[in-house]
Amino acid sequence: MARRRRLNRSAGGDAANLTILILMGAFMALPMVFAISNAFKPLDEIFMFPPQFFVRNPTLDNFKDLFLLMANSWVPFSRYVFNTLFITVAGTVGHVIVASMAAYVLEKHRFPGRVIFFQIVILALMFAPEVTAIPNYITMARIGWLDTYWALIVPALAFPLGLFLMKQFMATIPDSLLESARIDGASEFTVFWRIAMPSVKPGWLTLVIFSFQVLWRMTGGVYIYSEQLKPLPFALGQIIAGGVARAGVGAAVILMMMVVPIVLFIIAQSSIIQTMASSGIKE
Amino acid sequence: MKRALDPSVRRRAIWGYAFISPFIVGITVFFAIPFVQSIIFSVNELQVTQDGYELIPIGLANYHRAFFIHPQYNRVLLDSVLQMLTELPLIVIFSFLAASLLNQSFRGRTVARAIFFVPVILTSGVLLQLQTQDLLMNALLSAQAGMSADAAREGIMIGRDLAMLLDASRLDPRFVNYVISAVTDINQTVNRTGVQILIFLAGLQSISPSLYEAATIDGATGWEVFWKVTFPMISPLVLVNVIYSVVDIFVRYDNPMMILVRDVAFAQNNYGLSAAFSWVYFLAVLIILGIIASAFSRRVFYQT
Repeated sequence: MARRRRLNRSAGGDAANLTILILMGAFMALPMVFAISNAFKPLDEIFMFPPQFFVRNPTLDNFKDLFLLMANSWVPFSRYVFNTLFITVAGTVGHVIVASMAAYVLEKHRFPGRVIFFQIVILALMFAPEVTAIPNYITMARIGWLDTYWALIVPALAFPLGLFLMKQFMATIPDSLLESARIDGASEFTVFWRIAMPSVKPGWLTLVIFSFQVLWRMTGGVYIYSEQLKPLPFALGQIIAGGVARAGVGAAVILMMMVVPIVLFIIAQSSIIQTMASSGIKE
Repeated sequence: MKRALDPSVRRRAIWGYAFISPFIVGITVFFAIPFVQSIIFSVNELQVTQDGYELIPIGLANYHRAFFIHPQYNRVLLDSVLQMLTELPLIVIFSFLAASLLNQSFRGRTVARAIFFVPVILTSGVLLQLQTQDLLMNALLSAQAGMSADAAREGIMIGRDLAMLLDASRLDPRFVNYVISAVTDINQTVNRTGVQILIFLAGLQSISPSLYEAATIDGATGWEVFWKVTFPMISPLVLVNVIYSVVDIFVRYDNPMMILVRDVAFAQNNYGLSAAFSWVYFLAVLIILGIIASAFSRRVFYQT
């Protein structure tokens, strides 16, 4: 906590902060509390009218049913889990590296075409996926990537938001820091990987969270049609497509799909705090 | 020309291209090509045939239809723009406030941050995509809607008192209305700021502690430190968040224009018209974003 000197803070100010945070947080936490509470409700409570917010007789039946259904699926369930993990991890790692490299040179190098390229990225940011859905499918078909992991992973590498975000973070690195590394004989890649990236760790950890969040929920849509290549959200969607009878299992599925991004978020956030304690640019 | 021949400059340029090329390839294949194709679609009528599709050129008929024949298009376009203009300042200011609070050190702040990020997870996918007709989803949504309705009802009460107060102060009625709608829609605003809060938080985290140290040693007060250190250092990310919010509001799943575009393309199977719709919309967004971004980027402070 010695990281930053506390500036003129009064007890009254602390209390005000806490009150505002609790009020705003309460609004945001309600849906999560509802989802958790629902997952442990027995069927009769789920269908109770008027709906109850909190569970009265918590039970693990929903999870038991879910695992039973998983065990009976045609493709081994671990396969779906592997598919989603592979797509999510490969896509996230790749996106962070590709976007950071591009952002680094866009911000710290001067070369012809750089401004135009950046403007194209901003344009790409603005186009809704619905608009390019059909042309995108045609492109995939021509490359021959339909029904492969690549159809989901590779477009994710070039998400424009990541480049834009990283570029703004790279802007906070002082040029003198990079220059001194170059004078010490570091290659351009070393400067990027060993100097620039650690300085913007909060930036790319944030990007990891965003990218994971997008890829984790991908169902494969129209791009993947082989059952053994389908990601987890698709399989879980099939399980709860059973309708009313699967309402309990559905509640368990929603909780499971929520937990993973939240855990990742907490891990990433706590390591952001650690970075700032250990690094820090000295001018 | 002379500069380009300087060996160190040229070496830098080569590195520049090497680092950026993966991204360029990606964005060309998955964005530029589909982008151009959708322009082509918008001036054609697309018909599905046995072995693919066929394009029948019809010129600007789709655009003509959008502006002069379609009953809803102009109104939806205007609505979307107005909605964006009211929401944008609220979202950016609120998320900056929330991020500043969450950035302070207190017990359990990781959990507090996670809570603020939850709406992003809840509203952007898993739940919405898994099953829209799912009973639970409906229960969840209606519970949320119920809560917002309650909040709105209370908000109206607050709004009334506030309105009376503000009327008495003889401010511009448009301003009064804006403040009141901001108060009553707070729930929606809060739910849409998860990503922005996180971007601001990361920005606040990457401000070098030595800057604060120096400012404190020089005897700056908290207020001065905020305006002279925190604010300039965070300003590049204000620009990110402004642009992100504008785009997010415009292309969000439940934006009336996106609903219209999807409906025309995938329910009425009129892909050409839908492409024309989205092109006009896109140009409108582009102009607005250009104005907003140029207004902001002049004020952004860049480390040199």
